[in-house]
Amino acid sequence: MEGEEFYGAAYKGSRQFLQQDVKTANATGFGAAADDYMERGIDLNEQLIKNKPATYFFRMKGDAMKDAGIFDNDVLIIDRSLKLADGKIIVAVLNGELLVRRFHKNFSSAFLIPENSRYKNINLAEFSDFSLWGVVTYVIHQV
Amino acid sequence: MKAIVDCNNFYCSCERLFQPHLDKNPVVVLSNNDGCIISRSDEAKKLGIEMARPYFMAKPLIQQHQVAVFSSNYNLYGDLSWRVMETLRTMLGKKNVEVYSVDEAFVDLGIFPPEELQTIARQIRETVEQWTGIKVSVGVAPTKVLAKLANRLSKKNKHKTGCVLVLDTEEKITEALRKTPVGDIWGVGGQYAKKLKDLWCIYDALQLRNVSEEFARTHLGGVVGARLIRELKGITSKDMEDELVTKKMIATTRMFGSPVRDIVSIKEAVATYTSRAAEKLRRQHSAAKVISVFIVSKGENHHIDFRGATHGDSATLPSATSSTNELIKPAVDIIDRLFKEGTVYKKAGVVLSGLIPDDSIQGNLFRSDNKNCEKKLMDMIDNVNFSQRDDVLKFATSGTTRNWKMQQNELSGRYTTRWNELFEVH
Repeated sequence: MEGEEFYGAAYKGSRQFLQQDVKTANATGFGAAADDYMERGIDLNEQLIKNKPATYFFRMKGDAMKDAGIFDNDVLIIDRSLKLADGKIIVAVLNGELLVRRFHKNFSSAFLIPENSRYKNINLAEFSDFSLWGVVTYVIHQV
Repeated sequence: MKAIVDCNNFYCSCERLFQPHLDKNPVVVLSNNDGCIISRSDEAKKLGIEMARPYFMAKPLIQQHQVAVFSSNYNLYGDLSWRVMETLRTMLGKKNVEVYSVDEAFVDLGIFPPEELQTIARQIRETVEQWTGIKVSVGVAPTKVLAKLANRLSKKNKHKTGCVLVLDTEEKITEALRKTPVGDIWGVGGQYAKKLKDLWCIYDALQLRNVSEEFARTHLGGVVGARLIRELKGITSKDMEDELVTKKMIATTRMFGSPVRDIVSIKEAVATYTSRAAEKLRRQHSAAKVISVFIVSKGENHHIDFRGATHGDSATLPSATSSTNELIKPAVDIIDRLFKEGTVYKKAGVVLSGLIPDDSIQGNLFRSDNKNCEKKLMDMIDNVNFSQRDDVLKFATSGTTRNWKMQQNELSGRYTTRWNELFEVH
């Protein structure tokens, strides 16, 4: 099996669609010509979910990440298949609790950084049981 | 080579995914109605909590050790099961994955060179765990029966195996067979295991492998037994199967939350079960010719199935149908016949059989044909219920109060299937 297929993206979303799924203008007269230019429309799943079996939705509570544009009651989209990397906003498991913070790492230490000056940075050296739950990819916020 | 990928203590793992503080605590999950224990974490097993033990009997032990208890949350487990299977299908190709049950799948690894199997098996385990959060064990061997056996051994000693065991040489297979009691072989029931031990002094799988096919045919249930022996010898006799897409029979059976003694409640329950069964029927594009209904009174052994139930009856419909309303009427009529005043009931079930594809419904000279209208109505109900959830639209017979509904006192959220129950993080 090809390596690429082995680790290919799981979610093709509605990119796999049939000709019948394309809406038609349903006009009987001249308008029917527009049918040639009809498209399927925009599907949010396609943009927001790259790997469906690995994607989970959580609800944000509190304002710890408000300066990153994540507010109370927003919906977080989390992709578990992504790797931990410096600068990513993640859902961390710390002391058995799930926490949303920005992950920051340099050559000697690693931190969980809140995006709100009222909260403290968390130095991961002080914890033995830190693990990654998933990487936050999008936030859905009602304006 | 074939592999079986099996989720470790699946229901407990699903609950733990959203409660990481329970990662090292004992956890159990209860059956429908919080009746008995159906899933235990390794820690709970170590405490001596038994499988299928009634909850009230295990309660002292559970309280003493502060075991976390959950009602079964099938919406959550179903979604996570799909994620595990979808991950396998993505990694290995749809046609190489056979979903065997909610928490196990056979995988055909024939496309990989033998020297890579160990790596592939480990990659499967790691990827499923990373993507879905569910821990799995992987057993790899030349046949399904041997793969099952490998999987069982990989779970015995998780630290040593890393939940992966590949039986790719004769020595490894022999060793594994020696470590497996006959009763733990896939397809050998307790009865046969006892017979093998008592009559022929066959205790482990290695001894069983060495019997002749002729012996198996005579003493181990004919062709099934012979096939089992061949599988143990490493000769494929159970090949990959296509998923069972169309069921031959559809059943919805549940215990009542509390015992029921009035006919109205029972009718409501049966009407609701019928709606649920009819929905499943339409989902696989079938129509049913026969509807059977049974009720079980308190005091009867509740494990009995339809064949054993004392209060059961069925009706043959004038023509096959998938319409809820056409099915509810005969179902409720059956209850009128079965119900005895003064009896307390605790369970009811509806079984649809005589299934045919819904596009081949034969007409009947004596009934007016309004099939199309009905189909549209049913499609509409299914669509609304599917998008709004929780039976927004239902038939009036199903009632509005539901005193008979299941008890689920320790239910967790449906975190992956409902917008208003999403898991909350800080």
